[in-house]
Formats: sequence, structure tokens, C-alpha cells
Amino acid sequence: MALKESEAIVLRTYPLREADLLVTLFTRAEGKVRGVARSAKKSKRRFGGALEPLTYVRAHYEDRERQELARLDSFEVLESPLAAEMSYPRAVALGHVAELLDELLPDREVNDAVFRLALSVLPALRDTDVWMPITYFELWMTRLMGYLPELSECIMCGGGLNGSRAYFHVLVDGLMCKDDKRLASSEMSASSRSMAAQMFRSPIESFAGQAWTKANGADLRKFLTQTLQRHIEKKLVTAGMLEKISS
Amino acid sequence: MARLIEELKKLPGIGSKSAQRLAFHILRSSDDDAEALAGAVRDVKAKLRLCSVCNNITDVDPCVYCSSATRNQRLVCVVEEPTNIAAIEKTKHFNGVYHVLHGSISPLNGVGPEQLRISSLVRRVENGNIDEVILATNPTVEGEATATYLSGQLRRTGLKITRIAMGIPVGSDIEYTDEITMLKAMEGRREL
Repeated sequence: MALKESEAIVLRTYPLREADLLVTLFTRAEGKVRGVARSAKKSKRRFGGALEPLTYVRAHYEDRERQELARLDSFEVLESPLAAEMSYPRAVALGHVAELLDELLPDREVNDAVFRLALSVLPALRDTDVWMPITYFELWMTRLMGYLPELSECIMCGGGLNGSRAYFHVLVDGLMCKDDKRLASSEMSASSRSMAAQMFRSPIESFAGQAWTKANGADLRKFLTQTLQRHIEKKLVTAGMLEKISS
Repeated sequence: MARLIEELKKLPGIGSKSAQRLAFHILRSSDDDAEALAGAVRDVKAKLRLCSVCNNITDVDPCVYCSSATRNQRLVCVVEEPTNIAAIEKTKHFNGVYHVLHGSISPLNGVGPEQLRISSLVRRVENGNIDEVILATNPTVEGEATATYLSGQLRRTGLKITRIAMGIPVGSDIEYTDEITMLKAMEGRREL
């Protein structure tokens, strides 16, 4: 079979046999592809540092007849997360992006919008401030996957939420007004809802330079994480680790 | 026989075919060889433990490195796994001692700093008997994150924290070096 070429983002690797690696890639041409990088653990000649999570590469690979896993031939690094200092919050944030892409994307289904989103967020994750790019990525990812409910109206009564208090619950697919909120609901502030609206209107670069702390949009991130976890029906490993980061 | 094959299949990298081959090899081998293998498996569980100082795998506590009078106990090299020690010892140029973390920070696998043996390293440093800590974790995203985290935790007056150099392997060709390795080699260049 002919060798294929595509831009791709490496999501994660697993050890396979003595020296091989099983690699999950998000390719621009074919969506999520799994393949085997032969001898990648022993020799760095063909892949070098290109198999590190969230490395943006030009991948050469080929499909094998009647086999689910592609044969990975070689990768050319276009941008590596190792080019900037790897702080602990940054490592967790990159891991979170990789986990979301891996868990939410189906195999072999092209999704150029998500690919462009990931490419726009990766440069923003070069800095030590991870909260803005993480919020932006989670918000857009939830929307592009079709899981984001309308944030301006109550899911129970349909009433408008603009200017009034809004609540969310781990088992409910949307926001609720004060009258319809469930027991043990959390509140989402009006500022977080307006931030979400702003993020839908502007590219990520327009938020660069703004001072962000963990508190900024924390309620929005909690809502998004709960929504995503409800749809994939499992806990995101990296979400818990992000939660533990102190600032 | 089936029991032996089942047990061998639990080993990493051993599938049904390999387990069967190994089981038949053991069946054909002499009683002494089979007994020696069984004894070695028993001993590795009964006699080996972690060094109370550096967490290296050892049969005596403290381990040979930590109890050596000829090694520099004020120079500590931090590694991810006990197997990394052998690679450094092969150089015959490192005369310090070690600290084994038993892993690296790996968010995708749910491994954070609290799962690693970092607190015992911090205690060693706080005791004040260390001049330099060499961070010899792997040059991967996980290894780099671990090294950066450790440098933040260990920073105190008078303690020198260093990171092992990264760059082009000896005997290789610059022409075939990947971009990141080359970048790291340029960043870590030294004056002659």
C-alpha cells in the first residue's frame, strides 16, 4: 500500500512488545489513527523526539491490509512541546488536551475544525499560564463535539438566564434558573457566561496578555468537564490533576 | 503445565506461544536448572527490598552505594528507575550516590508528584548533607516535567541543582539529528 503523508498531532504512546510503541495520532487527513512505530523504544533514528505527546508532526504512515493498526514510517517534527520549559502545570495541561482529543474523537473520522483548534491552543500552552488556553480548548471542544447546551436559557423552563443567576448539576445537561435548580447544584457566574460568549466570538490570540488565575472561569471549566465526562461516561484522569494544581 | 503457561503469560512481552515455548524449555531442562530458576524467583521476592535512603533495589539496607565510604555522599543523582543506575555506573566516572523516584510525572497515566518518592529526597536535602543534586530524569515531556518540578521543590540556599546535558549522541552525524535534539544541543553548548 502507498505511503500516506499528513500533518498530525501525537496524542499518546503505549509500549508494545520489546521495543515497539503503539502510537495514537490525530491526523489532519484521516482523523484519529493508531499505528505501530517499530523499534521506536530502542532506536531514535526514525522518530527522534517526535513521539512525545502533543508534538505537531508531518507523519508518514501506511495502512496494512486487513490490519487495524497502521505502520508508522517516519515523523518530521513541526513543533515540539519540549522546545519550551516543561513546568508541572504545563505538562498536566498538555496531557489534558491529549486526553480530551483521544477520548472524544472517533477513529478515522476527519475533523478539521478540531485539528485547527488544537493547533491554535498549543502555542498558547507554551506559557506558564495554562488556565486561559485550557478554558478555551474545553469550551470549543464541547461545542464542536455537539455537547454544549444553550448557556443563555434554563434547560428546565426555557426562561432566559441573561442577567440572572444560573446553576448546573452533574446529572443535568444544561444550565438551570434559581427556581428549577436541583439540590447540590453549583452556580455559574454571569462573568463566566459572558467570557464563554466572548470566546466564541474571538480567536485565542485575542486573550493573550490577559492575567488569568485558576479562579478565572473555574465554574465554567467545572461545568464543561462534567458535561464531557457525562458524555464519555468516564472520569478524565487529567481533570483531577488540573484540579489539584494550586494556582 | 497449563498452570506454568498461565503464570508465564503474566510476564511483560510474553504471549501464549512464548509462554508455551518457555514452559517446554523448563520441562526439558535438568532438575538443578529448574530448581535454580524457581529459587531465583523466590529469592528476588524474599530478599530484595528498597534501600531506606535512596529507594534503589537492594538486598542489604542501606544499599552498596549509600553505605560506601569511598563515594561522595554529598552528590546525589536523581533517576527515574533503578535500571537507570546501571547506565550511569557503566561510565565509571560518577562517584556520587543516587535517589530513585520509581517513575516520572505522567498526567495521562494519572501519576502526579505525590505518587513518586519525592518527599524522601526533599528530606535528604533538608538534612543539609548534600551539596549538589543532579536531575537525571529522561529527556521526555514526563522527565522534563519531573525535573522542573523537583528543581522548584529542592531550591534552597547553597544547594546546587543541575540537569544532565542533552544533545547529539557520540558517534552520530549532525546531518541526521532531529530538530529538538539539535535545539537542546545548541542550548546546552559549553565554552572550550
